[in-house]
Amino acid sequence: MTDSELKLTLAMVVLFLPLLAAVSIGLGARRWRGLSAGLSLGASAIAFVCSLILFIKFHGAPSGIVPATDAAFNGIQWLHLGDFKVDFAALIDPLSLLMLLIVTTVGTLVQVFSLAYMKTDAGYSRYFAGLSLFLFSMLGIVLASNLLLLFIFWELVGVSSYLLISHWFEKPAAADAGKKAFITNRIGDFGFLIGILFVWQLHGTLDIIALADMGAVTTTAGLLIFCGAMGKSAQFPLHVWLPDAMEGPTPVSALIHAATMVAAGVYMLCKLFFLFTADALVIISWVGGITALLAALMAIQQNDIKRILAYSTLSQLGYMVMAVGCAGPAASLFHLTTHAAFKALLFLGAGAVIYSCHHEQDIWKLGGLRKKLPLTYRAFVIGALALAGFPLMSGFFSKDAILAQAFVANQPLFYLGVVVALLTSFYMMRCVLVAFHGDARSEAAKEAHETPGEMIGPLLILSALSIGLGWHYFGLSNFLIKVSGAVIPNEITHSAKLTAMIAGTAASLTGLFLGWMAYRGVKQDPLPAMLGALARGMRDKFYFDELYAGLNQWTQERLSHYAAWFDRWIIGGLAVRGTSGAVDLTGCLLRLVQSGNLQTYALLLALGLLVMLTFFLF
Amino acid sequence: MSPLTYIFGWPILMALVLMAVPRENRAVFRWGAILATLGSLVLALFVFVKFAPANDPTSINHGYAFVQTADWIPSLGISFHVGVDGVSVLLVLMAAIVSFAAACCAGGIKAREKEFAILLLLMTGGILGAFMALDIFLMYFLHELALIPTFIMIGVWGRGENREFAAYKTTLYLSLGALLALVGLIMIYLHYETFNLPEIIHRAQSEPMTTGQQGLVFALLMFGLGILVGLWPFHTWAPLAYGAAPTSTAMMHAGVIKKFGLFMLIRVALPILPDGAQQWLPVLAWLCLGNLLYCGLVAMRQRDLNQLLGNASVAHMGFVFLGIASMTLIGLTGAVMVMVAHGLLAALAFALSGHLHHQARTLDMDKLGGLLTVMPFWGTLLLMALLAGCGLPGFANFAGEITVFFGAWKTLPLITGIAAWAALVIGAVYMLRAARKLLHGPRADDAPHTEDIPGWHKLPFIILLGALLLFGFAPKLLTEKIETARESLEHVVELYNRK
Repeated sequence: MTDSELKLTLAMVVLFLPLLAAVSIGLGARRWRGLSAGLSLGASAIAFVCSLILFIKFHGAPSGIVPATDAAFNGIQWLHLGDFKVDFAALIDPLSLLMLLIVTTVGTLVQVFSLAYMKTDAGYSRYFAGLSLFLFSMLGIVLASNLLLLFIFWELVGVSSYLLISHWFEKPAAADAGKKAFITNRIGDFGFLIGILFVWQLHGTLDIIALADMGAVTTTAGLLIFCGAMGKSAQFPLHVWLPDAMEGPTPVSALIHAATMVAAGVYMLCKLFFLFTADALVIISWVGGITALLAALMAIQQNDIKRILAYSTLSQLGYMVMAVGCAGPAASLFHLTTHAAFKALLFLGAGAVIYSCHHEQDIWKLGGLRKKLPLTYRAFVIGALALAGFPLMSGFFSKDAILAQAFVANQPLFYLGVVVALLTSFYMMRCVLVAFHGDARSEAAKEAHETPGEMIGPLLILSALSIGLGWHYFGLSNFLIKVSGAVIPNEITHSAKLTAMIAGTAASLTGLFLGWMAYRGVKQDPLPAMLGALARGMRDKFYFDELYAGLNQWTQERLSHYAAWFDRWIIGGLAVRGTSGAVDLTGCLLRLVQSGNLQTYALLLALGLLVMLTFFLF
Repeated sequence: MSPLTYIFGWPILMALVLMAVPRENRAVFRWGAILATLGSLVLALFVFVKFAPANDPTSINHGYAFVQTADWIPSLGISFHVGVDGVSVLLVLMAAIVSFAAACCAGGIKAREKEFAILLLLMTGGILGAFMALDIFLMYFLHELALIPTFIMIGVWGRGENREFAAYKTTLYLSLGALLALVGLIMIYLHYETFNLPEIIHRAQSEPMTTGQQGLVFALLMFGLGILVGLWPFHTWAPLAYGAAPTSTAMMHAGVIKKFGLFMLIRVALPILPDGAQQWLPVLAWLCLGNLLYCGLVAMRQRDLNQLLGNASVAHMGFVFLGIASMTLIGLTGAVMVMVAHGLLAALAFALSGHLHHQARTLDMDKLGGLLTVMPFWGTLLLMALLAGCGLPGFANFAGEITVFFGAWKTLPLITGIAAWAALVIGAVYMLRAARKLLHGPRADDAPHTEDIPGWHKLPFIILLGALLLFGFAPKLLTEKIETARESLEHVVELYNRK
């Protein structure tokens, strides 16, 4: 087997095994819970092993598309019409290899965790089928070689997220959240699709490699493509769906709404970096910066442990998008990777807490878990420190990379980034202190007990990754700079690095210190008293949901109302009944034929037929 | 004889045979209809697989396969003339699949089974024949044969208090549409003095009608056929009719018969009347937004599942109109793909809503909820149908719609943009609203008792869904057939763009 064949075979195994698992569960394996989970987990584990082999063997190889003419792909053309060509082919470059590894690693760990977490759930098999479908779609995004193929998997990821968020569909909140996520994503996808059409019109191809040679498209087209990322990566102003998505099972939040799917937007921006003009990048960086700041502010006043993490995810995604906008895809991807590890860790840690406290999610009703769940506590603290950018944790290095990038490219955003870093460590300190320290504040928290091995195992692995991924020894940062080396216009100076590191460390430590001072030993939140209306605004997410609901009510719903009224009374009513004279006349005529006797109708039809046959035969 | 003749002759023959069977033998009618449509389906599959169009540019049959001709009324230039090209072969297959499914889903009819089976078979034979007829008279005649049973079926076996008004209004609208189209067709006949379609198309270039005539005839055809399809603002009959029609009738009409207007527009109006097309297609391009945007908005407000599906079905016709109005090869191909996909999807959706109505005796979405728990098979299929309806990749609809967008973008960017909003956002809003209300959420305490689809009754649903997925995963199966008609489609586009 040549290298190229091996590469392709392994990539296909990685891509299609999860689909196979989802389909076989759907077609019948769902009757046996264990079998369903086994199929799904097995597919994911094998995909992980293949991804690992692929990464080790090929991460140094030059990037390149695996053409449709290659062995396994011979002749798979999805659509070919004139110059509208969509081939089903895989683009396997070091970037996608890294992403494959991230997705399959987190995917496998989350499924192991789910074995215990979802054990008593009635929809156990459906849950695993959903996870497998998600993995297939996500891996498809990673491997897509063509913009439309990317769009197809983009949509499929959207639908698997919809299915998993509304996994507990009897619960109205979960069903609504799924719907909201899907529709908000569709708004982003609308821009994405128009962007793709623009690109096709400008360059006449959808093939990513071919496009890379042609360079940037217009600013408008680039920003439209960015709309897709705004939907999936929940950037302001399309960020509203992500916090609601926490209605889904917690492992789903860890996999989809923290580590992978929401990172797809960032991945897409990095992969298509060449499409964006300098102007487009400036706007992208500001969208990211605003998201990072707003979400960090909102996170400070959330009380649901999952929502705190959700807003922090928003904020960190904003960071990554900001980094892309500051012309630093390498820094962005670096943070994407470390974030995948520590945010999955935090979510699974939160899942363990929720599991052992009978689904209590309000941090003010927890407390004292440090003693009851010692392992979970340690894992959660590691995740929190990594997220807060504590020195020598993985998040420290990746955050510094982003800050350094911003320092060179856009100074105001650098300061904004530092503020966000401070806020981040503040709210993580709040979360840890309130949820784990002090005394237990509810029965559920008093009765908490350490979780089973299936749940602890993934936490340990992710803890190790959260600590070590950023270390220079691991070489991730250098690998990413090399991989996307061609597209770094700004040389990061030594002084920029140093400034970023000092500012980042100072912000992180200050935030932790302030959080420690504010929340040590408190029984209720001191902030609302200190900040007043601002705290209420943060708690109520700055009223974006209400704003959008009102906006939708005033525009689309109102239009729909008018259209339905017009349809019923003007077109359907007046236009038809207004011509009642003609109608009555016709009615009278019809009555002559309308004897009401079916036999007559049938006879008339048959006679007509006979006449026709007579002509035909004679 | 060509297998085509059997495909549409076999159901009609069965209808004639069933007339002689005493009405006590209820099972005979049910199984007779299923058997006859199954025969057509098998033959249609055979034709689909064996399809190899004649490749001889000099011949009048160039591009057609399985042609059969016989004189019928030579004095009037009317002949029995059937054949399929790359476009109609797909529609015949789709129609045969839907007919079989509709016959299988007729189990809910518990009165006058004899007449119902006969009418359904006449409908099936008529519409299958209409897609393969190459003689304009035969085409029109067979379409009428399929259309008239619709009115009777709504009036006699329909549901709800509104059914008589629905039958009445539908009859008025559709008869008017058919009449306008007939006037247009007769004007074409008067100019060419034959009904032979390939011959007329051949002669259209050398002896075209005057620009004024073409404008008039095209308008008659566009609006006449448009009424049959539910072109905005002549669409209000459709949700009403589908709300009142029995399941099999709604499946056949929304899925198959409604496609005839579009088919005739592509097959007759575009190649014969290029000057007329130049005058009227820009109008059609804007009217299609009436379907996509306006009917989509109306669908958002519906509380009754069938009203929602009816409006959605009218809205989806907008994609086909857009594809036609774009006048590009890609757009026209996309239009045909959407016709096939929508036929399968509309049939599936109305079959599912028919099952629900049969069980719950209501389709009011506010009174139902949490059905996914009670009817997992039905619920899963409905969810898939709804997702297919909002253009999810993996289903044939996506492939068709995206192709239409790519085709129309070059010539009609603004309209395509608005259409994309209607497809991606508005479509998702009303489809997911239905899923949220019907399938998700808690079950109401006073919810009616409902049961899932039992045993082999699942078959028609699986066939329809399977076909949607097959063409969605491999749209090439559709495009490679359409590709064989490329010459004639390109010819149409060229004629349109000359000057």
